[in-house]
Amino acid sequence: MIRCENLRVTFNPGLPTEKKALRGVDLVIPEGEFVTVIGSNGAGKSTLLNAIAGDIPASGGTILFGDKDVTKLPATGRTRDVARVFQDPLAGTCGNMTVEENMALAYGRVERGNLSFALNDRLREIFRTQLKRLNLGLENRLDAEMGLLSGGQRQSISLLMSALQPSKILLLDEHTAALDPKTAALVMDITSQIVAEKKLTVMMVTHSMRQALDYGTRTLMLHEGKVIFDLSGEERRQYQVKDLLALFAKARGDGEELDDDKLLLGS
Amino acid sequence: MSLFAFMGTLEIGLVYGLVAIGVYLTFRVLDFPDLTVDGSFTLGAAVAASMIVTGFNPYLATGCAALAGAMAGMCTAWLNLRFNILHLLASILTMTALYTINLRIMGKPNVALIMEPTVLSPFEALGIPAMYLKVIFVGICALLFGLLIAFFLQTQYGLAMRATGANKRMAQANGIVIKEKIYAGLALSNALVAVAGALFAQTNGFADSTMGIGTIVVGLAAVIVGESLIGTRNMWLIVFSCIIGSLLYRLAVSMALNADFLGFTASDLNLITAALVAIALVLPQLRREWKARQAAREAQS
Repeated sequence: MIRCENLRVTFNPGLPTEKKALRGVDLVIPEGEFVTVIGSNGAGKSTLLNAIAGDIPASGGTILFGDKDVTKLPATGRTRDVARVFQDPLAGTCGNMTVEENMALAYGRVERGNLSFALNDRLREIFRTQLKRLNLGLENRLDAEMGLLSGGQRQSISLLMSALQPSKILLLDEHTAALDPKTAALVMDITSQIVAEKKLTVMMVTHSMRQALDYGTRTLMLHEGKVIFDLSGEERRQYQVKDLLALFAKARGDGEELDDDKLLLGS
Repeated sequence: MSLFAFMGTLEIGLVYGLVAIGVYLTFRVLDFPDLTVDGSFTLGAAVAASMIVTGFNPYLATGCAALAGAMAGMCTAWLNLRFNILHLLASILTMTALYTINLRIMGKPNVALIMEPTVLSPFEALGIPAMYLKVIFVGICALLFGLLIAFFLQTQYGLAMRATGANKRMAQANGIVIKEKIYAGLALSNALVAVAGALFAQTNGFADSTMGIGTIVVGLAAVIVGESLIGTRNMWLIVFSCIIGSLLYRLAVSMALNADFLGFTASDLNLITAALVAIALVLPQLRREWKARQAAREAQS
């Protein structure tokens, strides 16, 4: 489904601040696979997701969705295939628009009709049915302003919005990192439901080793812009958080500091 | 204030209601502060007046004024989107260029329309006195365009335009081509303002190269006055509040100018405008501060 061939991304090429964020990533993710992506800060996890989504242009290499070469397509040209949820709960929704207006925007992701009313009773019914799944009572607040909702509520709605239209790929960029543990669990729960229901191909960046092993079918570790570890199948089931941490230590070459790193231990 | 002066105030207030809706589209919907309107208001008047004097149909002339305004808006959008010139600066450049272009279109600093046919001519046979007819006509225009814009903002395209102004990243992630929305929004906004200019020229009987100065401040004043009085998320009401804001602003100005004990003259208009806008901007904030202080006092006792 997703194929990256020698994918490279360089920020500020030719300048003193040049940064090679991706240094040749080769990756094949078959349809329906749920991949978790881990790596320390600056490893290139978010860059990889943004390059696949089209937010950041590739400096070299190719990205294919199925047989379709999308390397040159901008983000707006890839939204038929790709849905995404950002880390910042405020980034995925418009705070000064209502819940139903936000959902109507997401509903138009694949095919945007032009000069007809964006909202109607049929859509409101669809939105209400979706919102009921959250058990947050939001189905009665369709006309509430998004900015009045909490970060957790907004992130949950962002997630629903990403699944309103059929897409093949779901990109999750640490989408539970900014939430309290209870809300994070709820959001992860809905994530699993949606992924199973729609049979999506998923890439989820996470800082939590626990999450990386508990969810999905495959785990990638990025380091300095390369995939250094690719874990799946029986081998992955045997893995414990401490094994992953050991891998981290090996990659960074500074095992002693690891115990203090709360980000890595966070579950 | 005499009845005649009052009707004149209403008429100008309604014409500038269109300007306010245009300014609302750029400042509030697209979050793109656009000063082009100072030039496109005059542009609309210049195009309409010159065409009418040449013998064209006034409605065709007003339509061409709208097109010219749309092009001015696209020019600002192009400078901003293609060359990354700061939006404010891009609009100042277009506005400055338009000053010369308007003089060229008219061929002289002003064009008189006293004896020419206007968009009002077909209705003169109705026998309504001119001062009422003008108010009714511009009132219907303001309402009609207002309803159209309110409808537009609730369509899928309009919603996409609002998302472009509110959250570009989210808009893109949902397949919205933001450049196109900015071009369209600026074109629409400046077309409305140019129509306002064309109507102003035809109801007042002249187009003048300096008539657009301060249009942006007046438009912004109307938007802000409307917002602070009718704070709402309902698009129908928001567009309506732009028109009401413009009317109230005009009434406030003309009362200030008419109140003899204040001693203002017509040349003090800009100071009064600035003071009114400042008050409208500051009041909501003062109200918040006052409430916060009261809450703190209650918490102490």
